Amino acid sequence: MRSDKAEIESQAATWAELMNRPLQDARAAAEFDRWISADPRHVESYAEMAALWQSDGLDAALRLSAANGPRARNDNDQQGYRWTPGNSGAPHRAVAARTLPRSQRAAILASSILLLLLTIPVVQGILAPEQSYTAARGANRMIVLADGSKLNLSGGSRLSVRMTPWSRDVRMEEGEAYFDVAHERFRSFSVDVGNASIAVLGTAFDVDMMAEGTREVRVYRGLVKVEAGGTGWRLPAGSGLSVSKDGVQRLNNVLGARPAWIDGWFDAQDTTLARLVDRINRTSDRPVVLADPALGALRITGRFRMNETRELLETLAAVHDLRWEEESTHYVLSR
Amino acid sequence: MSHSDRLLDNGIRVAAPNEADKQDWRAVQVALVRYIRARGARTDVAEDIAQETIARLIVVHRDKRIASVFALGFRIADNLLVDHYRADSRLADEPEVDVVSEAPSLDRALDSQRAVEVFQRCLNRMPRLRREVLIRRRLQQESCRVIGEELSISTKAVEKHITRGLIDLRRAMERAGIDPAVWNA
Repeated sequence: MRSDKAEIESQAATWAELMNRPLQDARAAAEFDRWISADPRHVESYAEMAALWQSDGLDAALRLSAANGPRARNDNDQQGYRWTPGNSGAPHRAVAARTLPRSQRAAILASSILLLLLTIPVVQGILAPEQSYTAARGANRMIVLADGSKLNLSGGSRLSVRMTPWSRDVRMEEGEAYFDVAHERFRSFSVDVGNASIAVLGTAFDVDMMAEGTREVRVYRGLVKVEAGGTGWRLPAGSGLSVSKDGVQRLNNVLGARPAWIDGWFDAQDTTLARLVDRINRTSDRPVVLADPALGALRITGRFRMNETRELLETLAAVHDLRWEEESTHYVLSR
Repeated sequence: MSHSDRLLDNGIRVAAPNEADKQDWRAVQVALVRYIRARGARTDVAEDIAQETIARLIVVHRDKRIASVFALGFRIADNLLVDHYRADSRLADEPEVDVVSEAPSLDRALDSQRAVEVFQRCLNRMPRLRREVLIRRRLQQESCRVIGEELSISTKAVEKHITRGLIDLRRAMERAGIDPAVWNA
């Protein structure tokens, strides 16, 4: 099946052209109303397509294209598929360009190339439905997706991936993951984290799903768009965003080539103890429990090794004047 | 409004002015707000314009049957939005409240020089036939049927090229980071 987004976009584009005609027949009009009512995403996609179709920007670009004629081909552009007509010999080009046979040939050629491009992925899409991945508590897990994107799942993380010819959609349920996304021109990559969604091109970023709906995104390479509550932010490499019930905050302290947790470290910078404990518990063999929840508000700064829970507790205890005990199933941290 | 009026209106259940069926108009209003926001307006502006649009729709609806409530609603909203921006541009620039989202409005984004360049590059990369179809349809306002006849392809194929062309353009915009609505709160 086609991805929802691609299907909606295609319908929206069709409607945008149709509804901008001066006259519509009654049946199409009624059908349009039904379509708009059917799904809230329809109206948004339609608005975008209609805006595009009506824009002066498109008007200007088409004018320039028409003025330059069919020879207006920007050969400097290296990206993407390019349909090359079989007319490398220039002399007859200008004359032949607008004749019908060539147009027809163009159509046939173009459609057969497109068909070739699409057939294989479509079949793959059908055969590859949503796939779930879980990293057990206590250990990180590395996943390589079919497109070559690498996902590093922190212990206790859960997410699912749906690959279609048009999109790569990840739904994150829990935990933290570092995404190193393979650049693909025609396939978007997005991560849905419940109260926010992240759209990316080829890039590397980290998503942390924290307590009480707080979500943190950190970008290490490329550009990421985060959308939450109807507002969007663009995050270049080296920046991040924290979305919580208290609001949205920019994070400007994203350093290094990838998050420290992948290498087994945690950089606390005026971080709450609750957060640190949450982090420890993702990879610790036994969870750490706070004797008094109020202790969670304690502010911690420092670089901690995550795979040595005892060593870490020892350090914490020494620096912040705390005590820790080892029980059979967990560690207890108290004042 | 008679009973037969309700039946005449395909798809949409309509309300007589006196016993206004609130549920239906509310649904239209919700869709309008979404639409206007997706066109780049702030939420408060979108709500005002949706409200005003609904008021006008109800007036029109009193006198005649509306074939497509949404199509008419969107068109009214477009015009009101243009009016709003026109009025707004006369005022001095207000300081942006939200510092993190620093985006231009949808139409300003789509009409910028950069957008034109992105569209142009995208058009240049398109199959020639598709580009030709877009130019004839959008610029020369030729009907799909006429374009099909002239290029010896079916009307359906013409429509497909337009749809596909629009999607190509939209993707090009997304890739270039010229994203509409989303970037203004």
